[in-house]
Amino acid sequence: MIIKGLTVRFGAFTAVDDVTLEVPEGRIVGLVGESGSGKSTLARAVSGLVPYTGEIVDGDGVQMVFQDPYASLNPRMTVGASVAEGLRRPTPADVERLLGLVSLPPQLASRYPRELSGGMRQRVAIARALGASPRLLVADEITSALDVSVQGAVLNLVRGLRAELGLSMLFISHNLAVVRYVADEIAVMREGRVVEHGPTRQVVETPAHPYTRDLLAAVPRLPAP
Amino acid sequence: MRTPSGLAGAAIVALMLVLAVVGPPIWGDRAELIDPVAALQGVSAAHPLGTDNLGRDILARVLVAARLSLLLAALATAIGAAIGVVLGTLPSVLPRRLGRLVSSTVSALVAFPGLLLAMFTAVVAGLGARGAVLGIGVALAPAFARLTQTLAASIAGSDFVAAARMLGVSKATIVRRHVLPNIAEPLILNLTVMIGASLVGLAGMSFLGLGVQAPGYDWGRLLFDGFARIYVNPMVALGPAFMVVLAGLGFNLMGEALAKSATRSTVPKGAAPAAPAPEAGEADPEAVLEVRNLTVTFPGGVTPVREVSLTVGPGEIVGLVGESGSGKSLTAYAVGGLVPYPGVVGGGPVLLDGQDVHALPATERRKLLGTSLAMVFQDPMASLNPALKVGGQLAEVATVHQGATRAEAWQRAVDRLGHVRISEPARRARQHPHQLSGGMRQRAVIAMGLMGVPRLIIADEPTTGLDVTVQREILRLLREVTEESAAATLFISHDMAVVGSLCDRVVVMYAGRVVEELPADRLVSGAAHPYTRALVASVPDMSADRSLPLASIPGRQPGPAEVGEGCAFAERCALSTDRCTATRPPLEEHGKAHRVACWEAS
Amino acid sequence: MFVLRRLLRFAAGLAALMAATFAMIHLIPGDPVRAALGPQAPPDLIAARRAALGLDDSLVRQFLDYVGGVLAGDFGTSFLSGEPVGQIVMDRLPNTLSLAVLATLVSLLVGVPLGLWAAIRTENGRNRGTEVGFTTGTGAAVAVPEFLYSIALVVVFAVVLGWLPPAGKAGALSYLLPVAALSIGPAALIARLVRAETARELGKDYVRLARAKRLPAARVHLGHVLPNALTATLTTGGLLLGGLIAGSVLVESVFAWPGLGMRMTEAITQKDFPVAQGVILVYGAIVLVVNTAVDLALAVLDPKSTIKES
Repeated sequence: MIIKGLTVRFGAFTAVDDVTLEVPEGRIVGLVGESGSGKSTLARAVSGLVPYTGEIVDGDGVQMVFQDPYASLNPRMTVGASVAEGLRRPTPADVERLLGLVSLPPQLASRYPRELSGGMRQRVAIARALGASPRLLVADEITSALDVSVQGAVLNLVRGLRAELGLSMLFISHNLAVVRYVADEIAVMREGRVVEHGPTRQVVETPAHPYTRDLLAAVPRLPAP
Repeated sequence: MRTPSGLAGAAIVALMLVLAVVGPPIWGDRAELIDPVAALQGVSAAHPLGTDNLGRDILARVLVAARLSLLLAALATAIGAAIGVVLGTLPSVLPRRLGRLVSSTVSALVAFPGLLLAMFTAVVAGLGARGAVLGIGVALAPAFARLTQTLAASIAGSDFVAAARMLGVSKATIVRRHVLPNIAEPLILNLTVMIGASLVGLAGMSFLGLGVQAPGYDWGRLLFDGFARIYVNPMVALGPAFMVVLAGLGFNLMGEALAKSATRSTVPKGAAPAAPAPEAGEADPEAVLEVRNLTVTFPGGVTPVREVSLTVGPGEIVGLVGESGSGKSLTAYAVGGLVPYPGVVGGGPVLLDGQDVHALPATERRKLLGTSLAMVFQDPMASLNPALKVGGQLAEVATVHQGATRAEAWQRAVDRLGHVRISEPARRARQHPHQLSGGMRQRAVIAMGLMGVPRLIIADEPTTGLDVTVQREILRLLREVTEESAAATLFISHDMAVVGSLCDRVVVMYAGRVVEELPADRLVSGAAHPYTRALVASVPDMSADRSLPLASIPGRQPGPAEVGEGCAFAERCALSTDRCTATRPPLEEHGKAHRVACWEAS
Repeated sequence: MFVLRRLLRFAAGLAALMAATFAMIHLIPGDPVRAALGPQAPPDLIAARRAALGLDDSLVRQFLDYVGGVLAGDFGTSFLSGEPVGQIVMDRLPNTLSLAVLATLVSLLVGVPLGLWAAIRTENGRNRGTEVGFTTGTGAAVAVPEFLYSIALVVVFAVVLGWLPPAGKAGALSYLLPVAALSIGPAALIARLVRAETARELGKDYVRLARAKRLPAARVHLGHVLPNALTATLTTGGLLLGGLIAGSVLVESVFAWPGLGMRMTEAITQKDFPVAQGVILVYGAIVLVVNTAVDLALAVLDPKSTIKES
C-alpha cells in the first residue's frame, strides 16, 4: 500500500500533515512518535475511520487491531460470533481455523469476552481482523494495555503471522524498543509529519534526523551486565 | 435487585398490578353506588375513607381507580418512550447538520421543565385524559431521547463498532447486532422509573383539573374532588394521595434497584482478621525505611500483600516490579499509611528513620508523614486538584504542618517549583493544573513533596503516561531529589527497562510476596528467579536479539484470595517440581545483596 | 466566544418559544374564541372578539403582530376579564419567583451538606447501613411529587395542629409550608447528586495525594473535594430553579398562592387562551434566562469549564 500526501484536519488543527509512506508487500512498517504526533490518526485514516485528503493506493482490505482489548469486543457477542464477523459465510471450521492462527483453543468460541484475559482478548481481535483476509493489518498500540507477562507472547504472534501468512503490517507504538523488535522498517512521526523513514537497523543505529536521535537517547535501557 | 428497597419496590409494583386487574370487578359496583343520604360523610366503619358528594364510597373508588391510573401511566410512558427513541436515534441516521439540530433541540428541551411541556400540550390537545396523557408523554420524551442518544453514541463510537465497519458489516446489521443489544437493557430498566414519573405527573394534571374529567376518575381526580373538603375531612384526600405516593415509590425503587443490579458487581463480604505479625528481625540502623513482614488483607480472605520486608537506605531508589495484581502498589500504600477501606494492614513495624510510624500517636504521625512523605502518581493531571491553583496546593503543606503564614508558604511553593526546574515559577504557581504540560504537572507534584524534607518518596508508575523524552527528565529529577535529600525512594513500575535504568535495587513481587531482591545491574544476567528472568525476557529492550522469540509466561497470576501452600509461581514455571507445589520456598540469601525465593534457583 | 455562542442559543430558544406559544392558539382544534365564550355566545360578540384578536388576518401577519407585541411588552388581553396579560404577569410573577428562589436556596443548603456527609461516611463501601438508609430515603423523597407534600403539610400543620396558615400569602409564616413542600424533593435529588459526585472525586489521585500530605479531613473534604463536586451540582442546581418555577404551579394550587401558576391553571381550565399563552411564554422565557445564566456563571467560575457543547 502507498500513502501519498495524506492530510487529516480536525477543524483548524492539522493532525496529519501531508504524509507519504509506503508499506511494501509482506513487510512490517513500524510507526513511532510521541503523544500528539498523529500516528494514531494516520492509522485511523488508513483504516477509513476518519476522513482525509490525499491518496491511498491499494488501500482496500485494511483491518485494524485496537489498543484496548476490553473495548474492542462486543460484550454481548460470543468469541466465535466476533471472530466470524469478517467472514462471508462463516462455518465453525473457519472460526476454529482463525482461533488456531492466534493459538487459541476452539472451545473458546462459545465464551464471552468477560471470561477472557486481556492477552486472550487481543488474540481474538487479531483473529477477527484476519478473518477478512486483510492485505494490510494496522496494529495501534496493541501491547500497551497488556500486562508485561503477556506482551512478549503477543509480539511473538505478530512476527509469526508475518512469517506464516506474509502479512503486511503498519505497527504503531510509542515504544521504540517494541517497534525495533517487530518492524522491518521504521517511520518516525512528529507533529503530523514523517521526519524519518528507513530500514530498522539504519534508523536505530545511524539515525539521520535530530528528533530521532533525541527519541533514541531517551529510551530507557537495562544496564549492561 | 436483592436490596431491601428493591424488594419493597417489587412488592408494591406487584400489588398495584394485582389491584389493577381485580379492582374494578370486585369493588366496581360499590364505587358507583349512589346514596344521597350518605353524601359527604367523613370516616366511618361503613366508609373507612368517607363518601363523596353523591354518597359513593371513596375507598372503593380509590381501589377501582388503580386500573385507570396505571393504564394512563403506561400509555403516557409508551408515548414518551416512542417519541424519545425516535428523537434519540434520529441524529445518528440523519445527515450531520440536521442531526445536530435535532440533538441540540433535545438538549434544550431536557433543560425545560416537563410540567410546562405537559401543560402546553394539554392546552393544544384539549382538557381531559387524552390531553393529559399526551402532555405527560411529551414531557417525558426529551429525557428519554437524551438517554437513548447518549447510549447509542457511546456504542457507535466504540472500537468494536469501528472494527465491524472495517469488516464491511452493513449499517443496519451494526445497529441490530451491536447497538441495540447494548442499549436495550438500560433503556428498558429506565422505563420502570418512567412509569412512576408519569403516574405522578398524571396525578398532578388531574389534580389541577386538567386531566381525567368526571364521571371518569383516576387517583388524581379523586384527589381533586377530595381536596376541596380537606379542612373538614382530611382523610378523603389522603386516601388517593397515599395510593399515588405508594405506586410512585414502588416503580421508582424497583427501577433504581434494577438499574443498579445491572451495573454493580458483587462485593465480597465478611472480614478477615489481619494475619498475626511474625517476629521482627534486627533493625538496620543505616536504613531510612525499614519494613518487616507487612501484610494487607481485605474482607473475604483476600490478601494482596503477604509478609513483605523491605529496606531502603538513604539516597537509594528501590524498584518494586511485578504484573498488575502482584501487590506492588498496595505494599507502597501500606508503607505510607494510605491503604483504602476496608483493607487492614498487619505485621510491621514500618520504621522511618528508626521510628515506628504506626506506633506514633495520631497527631505526631500526621505531622511526621505530612512533611516527610512525598508521593507521585501515574497521572499527573489526576493528582493535582483541577479546581485549585498549583501554588496553593503546594503551599497548604507548609501552612498546615509547618505553621507558615500564607505569604511564607506561597514563597516557599514558588521556590520549590523553581527547584524542580519549572520555568517562571511565580507565574506557574498562579495557574491551574490544566494550563501546565504533562511533564510540568509531574514536576509540580514532585515539588509538592519537597515542601517538607522528604524522607520517603513513593513514586507509583510516575512516567507511564508520559512520552519518553519527558520520562527521561522526570526520572532524572527523581534521582536528583532522592540524592540531595538522602530520602528513601520506592519506585513502582511494570517497565523493567525503566526500573533497570533508574533504580539501585529491584524488588520483584509475585502474588503478594517478594520473590527476588537484587541489584539493578544484575537484572539482565544475574536474576535467579525464573519469574524475574521471564519478566526481563518477555519485553524487548533496545538490545534484544531480533532473531529470537521473546519469552512468554503461560497461564495467569493467582488472585489475592487463591494463593495456595506452595510456590505461587509453580503453575506457570517450567522448572517446577512436586516440592514447589507442596512447600513455599523462603526468601533466602543468594550472593551479595541478593535474595531469592525459589527451590530451583540457579 | 463561548458567551457569544451561548447568547445566540438563548436568542434561538426565545424565538422557538415565541413560535411555539403563537402556534399553540392556532393548533387548538376549532375556534378558540367560540371554545372560550361557549356555544351560547352571540355570533356578533364572537366576530368582534375575533377581529380584536386579529384572528382573521393572514398567519404571517398575525405572527409578526404577535412578535412585535411581545417585544413591546404587549402580551394580549384576557378573553374573560379584559385585563392586559402583561399586567397579570407583573402582579403575579414576584410571588412565584420568591417561592422558587427560596426553595432553591433551601434545597441547596440542605442537599449539599447531606450529600457530602453521606459520601464521606459511605466511602469505599463503609457503613452499609447509612448507604441503604440514604439511598432509600432520598429515593423515596424524590419519588413523591411536590403537591402531595403540600397536601400532607397542610393536613398536619394547618388542619390537625393548626400552627400555620393553610393557604394564601400573608406574612413570612405563610411561606414556610409552600417552600418546604417545594424543597423536599429537590433537596433529596441534590443530596444524591452531591453524594455521587463526591464519591467519584474521593477516588481520584489528588485526594490520595491530599491525604498523603496528611491534611486534616475537613480540609481534604471542603477544600479539595467540594469545589470539584460542586461544578456538576451547580449545573443541576440551575436547572432545578427552572424546574422549581414550574413545580410551583401545583404547589400554588394547593396553597391558593397568588402566583403565576395558579393564574395559569385557572386560565387553562376556563379556556382563557391569551392568558394561558402569555403566562406559558413568560415561564419559558424565565427558564431560558435561568439556564443561560447558570451556564455563563459556570463558565466564569470554572477555570477549565468543560461544559459540553451539544
